[in-house]
Amino acid sequence: MPKYKDMVQPVRATDEEMRHIHIDPVPDDEKCEKALQYLDEMRKKFRSFVLAMESCVKCGACAENCHTYLGTKDPNNIPTNRAELIRKIYKRYFTLEGRWFGKLVGAEDISLDIIEQWYSYFYQCSECRRCARACPFGIDTCEVTFVGRQILHWLGIVPKLHAHVGAAMERVGNHTNLPKPGIVDTLEFLSEEIMDEFGVEVPFPVDQPAEIMYIPSSADFLLNPYTLMGAGMFFTYIGASWTIPSTVTEAGNFGLLFDQMFTQRHNVTRLLDAAQKLGVKKIVWGECGHGWRAAKMYIPTLADRPVRWPITHLHDEIAYYIRTNQLKLDPAKNPKPVTLHDPCNYARACDLIENLRTVIRASVVDFREMTPNREWTFCCGGGSGILFDDPEMYQRRIQLSAKKAELVRATGVGANGDGILCAPCSICKAQLYPMVEEHKLGVEVKGLVDLLGRALVWK
Amino acid sequence: MSYFILQILPYVTMVVFTFGLLYRLGRWAGARIVHDITLSPFPQSNTQVLGIFGAELIFFRSLFSSDRALWVGAWLMHMALFAVIGGHLTGIYFLGKQFIYIGTSENLSEQLSALLGTTMGLIMFAGLLYLFYRRFAVAKVREVSTLSDYLHLVLLLSIVTVGNIMRLWEHDLGITYAPVKDYVTHLVMLMPLPMTHEVFTRPFFVLHLLFVQILLMIFPFSKLMHVFGMFAERWIINRVYKEPAPGLPNVDVQAARRAGLGLPSSEGGV
Ligand code: HEM
Ligand code: SF4
Ligand code: SF4
Ligand code: SF4
Repeated sequence: MPKYKDMVQPVRATDEEMRHIHIDPVPDDEKCEKALQYLDEMRKKFRSFVLAMESCVKCGACAENCHTYLGTKDPNNIPTNRAELIRKIYKRYFTLEGRWFGKLVGAEDISLDIIEQWYSYFYQCSECRRCARACPFGIDTCEVTFVGRQILHWLGIVPKLHAHVGAAMERVGNHTNLPKPGIVDTLEFLSEEIMDEFGVEVPFPVDQPAEIMYIPSSADFLLNPYTLMGAGMFFTYIGASWTIPSTVTEAGNFGLLFDQMFTQRHNVTRLLDAAQKLGVKKIVWGECGHGWRAAKMYIPTLADRPVRWPITHLHDEIAYYIRTNQLKLDPAKNPKPVTLHDPCNYARACDLIENLRTVIRASVVDFREMTPNREWTFCCGGGSGILFDDPEMYQRRIQLSAKKAELVRATGVGANGDGILCAPCSICKAQLYPMVEEHKLGVEVKGLVDLLGRALVWK
Repeated sequence: MSYFILQILPYVTMVVFTFGLLYRLGRWAGARIVHDITLSPFPQSNTQVLGIFGAELIFFRSLFSSDRALWVGAWLMHMALFAVIGGHLTGIYFLGKQFIYIGTSENLSEQLSALLGTTMGLIMFAGLLYLFYRRFAVAKVREVSTLSDYLHLVLLLSIVTVGNIMRLWEHDLGITYAPVKDYVTHLVMLMPLPMTHEVFTRPFFVLHLLFVQILLMIFPFSKLMHVFGMFAERWIINRVYKEPAPGLPNVDVQAARRAGLGLPSSEGGV
């Protein structure tokens, strides 16, 4: 089902797969009625959503601040129009003006076609919040996407990719379905790699009683090994007592992206269980944009018990040790030109901006800022896990990454074909690995702790 | 008809406006701030939060960064609008003599009041015209507009046009402050005016008030709620977030480096 009436749509989970994530799909003839019921529940709960429904002036300022509109020129990808897909229903059923003046204010009856539109356009939004930053009132279309995806989830409409990730998280505690023996084996292999390449002995303790619990992104086990190696090297270098819990080897939390109720909360519970069981004092988070947002901003409101553990990001910690002059680093070990892609979730939702620069400046010789950057960063186009592989959606991904490609090219780091695009977020990496090839940017994608690990001076 | 618009409708308008507003704000208050969705720039103190609110209100700072072309029109229009609202209140209350408090003569104050009023009215007119033009001419704005978006602007343009006509041709078509103050005073005190009062004989004044009342009645049911929406939204996203302190438990980097942690045993590590 990659297309429906000219709209691209991700391949969806089967009914069976939906049941694995605790949803009984709603039959077609009840979908509209149920959708309204869920929408009613959501509007009574989330004020951020109500404000997006009721105070937008349709000024259009958000349009060219969204990479999805820039890349596709599809009017429904203008943030306020994305919100309008729900707003027209909201107006029709939940406002006086919509009930009385319908067409005049753009109200519309609900139909299955509209639900299909939701599925298409809420899964092109990367929940990057650049629209919120740009809007004169701060209206946050990401909140509308959250609500749209939640309703779709309850109706039984979720991309196969997201449903698989949700099920894997519940089964083994990570997105990639990697069981404990696989985790231990991979980590032993990474230790050997570090020995071969950097000549240092770095153990990766799993489920050991320790002071610090490190939560890596599961993608680091297979796709971004240097990120995990870099983290291990840092912890060993500073002599930390640390461990990776085998029950949560996942910094991400796809629950944030499609089901903020069961799926997201379940992951949080798992994390707190692990922290309690291992008796740790602090939790340190690995490189993952949405995951860090989910951890830093949502754990306090999703936790099912008092949270006794301060939770910080790996780069907040590394930056602290750099600022206090406790790490000996040799930037010359990273001689290639480097630019930094600010992951939107770090920059706009978590205030992790300055510390990334502290780390990168200390680790490389030739660092070049991108413009715009920091809180005005453009998304890589893969945010919120829209990393779909079917041909239609893959074409969309190329369009969605077009703006980022333009900005990377403008930095000139890839001019000689040997640049580095540092993207300290797993989804950014997964999106950018193929996209730098599609756009022929002449750069290699790397994490940030990868560069730090390489720059450490051990003797 | 004039009597209805000036003497009866205002009370209906005030009821619709007040209860509509309370209904709308009540709905907003009923929904909650469920999760922490603080957005950059992360202010570190409540003073900085106030600074953000102020800069957004006075300078439209986010809009300045995100869409300069819109900012020019929207900012001019709003500043003129704020001035016009302020001008109506003070001008009518002080009969145009408000500037004597900053040391002008009565005559000069009246002239200043008229000049400022006319200028702001014209700026606002130009600003609105520009916003109206954008809705047709700029593709992205056209693509987000519904019929009501155009009608809002038509209504505002009508109010401002009539207002400007009264200003520019004051002696033939306009009205002076004194009868208006008399009218407003009676309205507020719930006292009817005699049918022969000057305000009923000024068709443009009656029209101006009709349009304004329509605007106030649709206010709570329209996007004009953005006036309050901005504060309500920023209350959610612009707040202080306190970071936990960095520094890892029981870590002594110097000791670790002295012990040569990580170095293979052959090189003196442990
Ligand atoms: C608090 C800060 C405010 C900001 C940032 C703001 C921003 C905006 C923006 C961006 C527009 C869209 C212009 C367009 O149509 O393209 C607008 C329209 C408008 N605003 Fe505001 N506004 C603010 C406060 C106010 C206030 C206090 C009033 C009135 C007392 C007001 C009255 C209007 C009116 C009448 C319009 C025209 C609506 C229309 O296009 O139909 N605004 N505002
Ligand atoms: S910038 Fe804000 S107010 Fe303007 S159209 Fe977009 S969401 Fe609406
Ligand atoms: S959150 Fe990002 S992708 Fe989604 S509408 Fe806003 S700017 Fe576009
Ligand atoms: S994938 Fe990366 S760039 Fe894109 S939304 Fe997440 S953090 Fe932002």
